[in-house]
Amino acid sequence: MSILLEKLIINYPYSIAVVLFIIGALTVLTRSSLFKKLLGINIMETAVFLIFIAAGNIRGGTEPILSEGNPGTVYINPLPSALMLTGIVVSVSVTAFALALIIRLHRTYGTTDANCIAQMRKEVIDR
Amino acid sequence: MISSITTNLPVFVVIAPLFVAFILTTFARRIRLVEGFVIFIEVLGLTGAGILAVNVFIKNIPIIYQMGGWSAPWGIELKIGNLSAFFLLVVAFVSVPVSLFAVNNLSDEVGGKERVTRFYVLYLLLGGAMAGMAVTNDLFNVFVLVEVATLSCCGLVSSRNRPQAAEAAFTYLIMATLGSTLVLGGIGFIYIITGHLNMGFAYEELNRIWQNSPHVVWMAFSFMLVGFGVKSALFPLHIWLPDAHSAAPSPASAILSGVAVKGYLICLLKILYRVFGHTLMQEFAVHRILVLAGTVAIIAGSILALTQVELKRRLAFSTVAQVGYIILGMGLVNIKGLTGTLFYLASHAVIKSTLFLAAGAIIAATGKKNINELAGIGRKMPITMAAFTIGSLGLTGIPLFSGFIGKWNLILGSLESGNIIPIAVIIVGSVLCAAYLFPIVRVAYFEPAPEEDWKDPGFTQKIALIMLASAVVILGIIPGPFLELAERAAAELLMLR
Amino acid sequence: MKDFILKRISAIILPFICIYGFYVILHGHISPGGSFAGGIIVGLSFIAFSTVYGTEKGRSKLPEKVLIWIESYGTLWYGIMGMVGIVKGVPFLANKLAGINLGEPGTLSSGGLISLIGIGVGIRVASTMVTLFFTLMEEES
Repeated sequence: MSILLEKLIINYPYSIAVVLFIIGALTVLTRSSLFKKLLGINIMETAVFLIFIAAGNIRGGTEPILSEGNPGTVYINPLPSALMLTGIVVSVSVTAFALALIIRLHRTYGTTDANCIAQMRKEVIDR
Repeated sequence: MISSITTNLPVFVVIAPLFVAFILTTFARRIRLVEGFVIFIEVLGLTGAGILAVNVFIKNIPIIYQMGGWSAPWGIELKIGNLSAFFLLVVAFVSVPVSLFAVNNLSDEVGGKERVTRFYVLYLLLGGAMAGMAVTNDLFNVFVLVEVATLSCCGLVSSRNRPQAAEAAFTYLIMATLGSTLVLGGIGFIYIITGHLNMGFAYEELNRIWQNSPHVVWMAFSFMLVGFGVKSALFPLHIWLPDAHSAAPSPASAILSGVAVKGYLICLLKILYRVFGHTLMQEFAVHRILVLAGTVAIIAGSILALTQVELKRRLAFSTVAQVGYIILGMGLVNIKGLTGTLFYLASHAVIKSTLFLAAGAIIAATGKKNINELAGIGRKMPITMAAFTIGSLGLTGIPLFSGFIGKWNLILGSLESGNIIPIAVIIVGSVLCAAYLFPIVRVAYFEPAPEEDWKDPGFTQKIALIMLASAVVILGIIPGPFLELAERAAAELLMLR
Repeated sequence: MKDFILKRISAIILPFICIYGFYVILHGHISPGGSFAGGIIVGLSFIAFSTVYGTEKGRSKLPEKVLIWIESYGTLWYGIMGMVGIVKGVPFLANKLAGINLGEPGTLSSGGLISLIGIGVGIRVASTMVTLFFTLMEEES
């Protein structure tokens, strides 16, 4: 048990990423406001970015810019950070699109609560 | 000049729709020019896909293309083997009739000229992303193309003016982004243990090194399966599909159900067989999970389709059931099974597009959405209903149509791998498919028609329906070279060359 | 937000923010940042202008036609830059193979195609941000 706790604390970025992922997933599933669902998606994506970026880190390494130093310096891996820039762009686009859809729904139904919208749709169908 | 175009054809097939899509917005007022451009690019794409497929088929070695001149582990690699040529042909061939159907037909469903141009922009983006998913050999490139496809699919679903469209698009966006996040997590785990993003290099490294970290490989498997399962509507994760595909305009439903769902399945196939490999799959018993999930999806999807009254929702649930067939085939790790999977994928793409386009024509002409109101349409709109009938016969798996060959190969594959339950499920699934499609055909032809003025849709729409319906029949009667391409693709996936 | 202090201070600072954004775009291959982050900074300067001075003045500075043109042709610029390699017979997006002069690493003129493509992507991202802001703002009124 203490070995497990020790491993969790040494790999703290991954543990925090798992906690963030669970928080994001629970927010999407249990909250009924559409804005909160969108925020939950953002938190989940941030968790996955954290996993990638933490994987590129080497303890004791310096920043990956070539300079005149001794040839034995350890540079951290710059590739995951570059990949996650693309991921952040995708996340911004999804957020913008979802916000536009929320505005359209608000104009039609007058509310941004998913349960109220489902209720109103059921009344329209029953009529 | 010609030689430089043909050597760079792999990348042109992907980027030409993407770049043309962006310049369409600047001349949004002249709709004829926009539609002409779209059809021109689609036909060029079909020609390019045909040239590549013939090249790969004759020479039998994969075409490898390195973006930017950087070679394999440092650069993005496009590899066109038999599987890529197969799926490129399917995507290119289905896009042309669907865009022909959308000409002149969109204004009453979508809105003014700007919105129609926006529809075409999203349509071309989806076509480019699907072509990219067919040819890519790099894991992160798969993620980027999956995101482009997701956003354009959501845009297509929300392009109608109704409130159901916005709601369906929001649900689809949330669930699809959940799926993409999981896929990115899976790619992250593969990168962490192997250090490579190229599929070939990751395969070699993974098969050397997986004993050190079996839990991470198990997590990568489950993240990929659930992530791609959400996006391709595997049974318990299919909730977004009926609302989204019935709230979209009909050309969008056809391309979404026909091509978009298949693109994600091809990505899953590539990752499971080219990155993990079939030995690792059998080690972790993933193939049993796939067979089980496919079985449940076929039965549940068909039963749910029987309970739907609205025509487009019934077709959407039928897509859920047919995806079950493809997932079932993915779990049969032998040549016949994988050949059946690929051929069934192609035939379902063509058939489902036919069915959705015919349903869209019926709804646009008559204004009726439910099945029990469609009496006597067969005599008023003969070409539309004939296309629908051919599609239904093909989907059920009657011999002489293309669905039969796919199901036959799937049955042979499951016999070879020793399971008997998939055979029973495939037969029961075909019976249920007949049960939910043939009543529509019967009501349309054999009931008296009310005295209304229903006519067949316009000229380009009729050509689109005839093209797709004849493809169903031709694939059923002379599958020859196409089936050969599918067999070679299956052998290539199982690394038996 | 028609406060006197805000208007005077933003009239002095916002042009510098815009120039800083262009600096980040152009120096993408030497220092952190690059096309996406620089484009967002340029877009932010226009959004701040619209917030302080009102949406009508913002729209008159950047009419919709200009925004649509920059978005479409920024992407086409990327494609044309990629075609430079194809014309010379090497794969798409080739940098050194296409014979472009890569100068000393660390100076502004190194990197070849990277900074040129970055300019197109940067102004495209800026115009997308401004378009999104105008779309979301017009729903409120």
